[in-house]
Amino acid sequence: MAQSSHKRGGAGLIAGLVAPWLAVGGVILWAALRASGEDSAFAWTQSLNPGGWMAWVFPTALFFWIVAGLLVLFSILAIRAPETPRRGILRIETTRGDRLFIALLVAGFVNLAWLALGLGPQWAALVACAILAAAIFRLV
Amino acid sequence: MKTENQKAWFLVLPVLILVAFSAVIPLMTVVNYSVQDTFGNNQFFWAGLAWFDDMLHSERMWNALGRQIVFSSIILAIEVPLGVLVARNMPKKGVWASVCLVLMALPLLIPWNVVGTIWQIFGRVDIGLLGYTLDALGVDYNYTQGFYAAWATVIVMDVWHWTSLVALLAYAGLQSIPDAYYQAAKIDQASRWSVFRYIELPKMRGVLTIAILLRFMDSFKIYTEPFVLTGGGPGNATTFLSIDLVKMALGQFDLGPAAAFSLMYFLVIMVISYVFYIVMTNLDKEEGGE
Repeated sequence: MAQSSHKRGGAGLIAGLVAPWLAVGGVILWAALRASGEDSAFAWTQSLNPGGWMAWVFPTALFFWIVAGLLVLFSILAIRAPETPRRGILRIETTRGDRLFIALLVAGFVNLAWLALGLGPQWAALVACAILAAAIFRLV
Repeated sequence: MKTENQKAWFLVLPVLILVAFSAVIPLMTVVNYSVQDTFGNNQFFWAGLAWFDDMLHSERMWNALGRQIVFSSIILAIEVPLGVLVARNMPKKGVWASVCLVLMALPLLIPWNVVGTIWQIFGRVDIGLLGYTLDALGVDYNYTQGFYAAWATVIVMDVWHWTSLVALLAYAGLQSIPDAYYQAAKIDQASRWSVFRYIELPKMRGVLTIAILLRFMDSFKIYTEPFVLTGGGPGNATTFLSIDLVKMALGQFDLGPAAAFSLMYFLVIMVISYVFYIVMTNLDKEEGGE
């Protein structure tokens, strides 16, 4: 009995998380398409709300949408598959959420270092970050 | 049967809204500014990672970071030992203990800009007690023109303002040591140093870690006091990170570079905060396990 009510509550929460996230994604896409002029098929770098609040552009909107998506994903994982913290190479107790936070923080620094040292195109830094993130989720 | 529903989320909603407006929305705006350029009139143009590239290769930012690290290291090196020394010599109980605690707490209650103003006047050669005395003693002291005088004043001001925080934390740590430890040390004829090294220091480990991290984080973000006292001068001598940032963002209205700068600053603060959080939770667990 308790099990089923728990499942139901989980499902409601998932709907409450995923639906708004998808809706925000739709709004971003709509704004980008609306901002596209005649000279470009898609508004990669044009202002999404010219003269408006917060000065949005597509890349930053996409960035925050992906981060929000990760938070939604990890929230769902936390509800569906609860876990116990474990100790890794940093010798601190971490959960999946902690490891995500560390991976994002490391990604920030790796990207900056990549840019500062001029190691190549920035997408390559992103690939390096993805590899590092995989290592962090395994080892930390 | 235990009923489960999600109504508790509504209770968290006010906090979420407050955090959104005070932190999330401003942070998102800064991220947006950091990849764009503006010529005013709220019109923005895509700049890509140019500002990050600029700031990472800007001598000005690295200099400010260097000054910041030197400043934080110096004040930690002074405030932590001094705070412990003060705490060890404070009376353990009685009226004087209360008097000492109140006196120690006073600097912590004074607003930052008032602290700056106090020291600005205190250090003046014409009307300030400190400046006048040093001048009368023949010391060439002028914090508005001399590099060393400016640094010395900023550091002494911070020590005056915050050593009591370290002292109060260390005092709390000392108070929690049961008398039996001291009695045992007395029986063993332990020296004052041994008592400190093997009883007091281990027992103060937790509070001192908190004090060091708190002071490091706070000194790393310092703005108001040096801004009021020296305005970052003479020249750029006491221009720490946040003073430089404000000059860039509001003085020159270079929103893009300032946004890139503040995001890097933010990342560093995030790392320190995370370390602080980890240490705090681990201390709680250790205490809970005892």
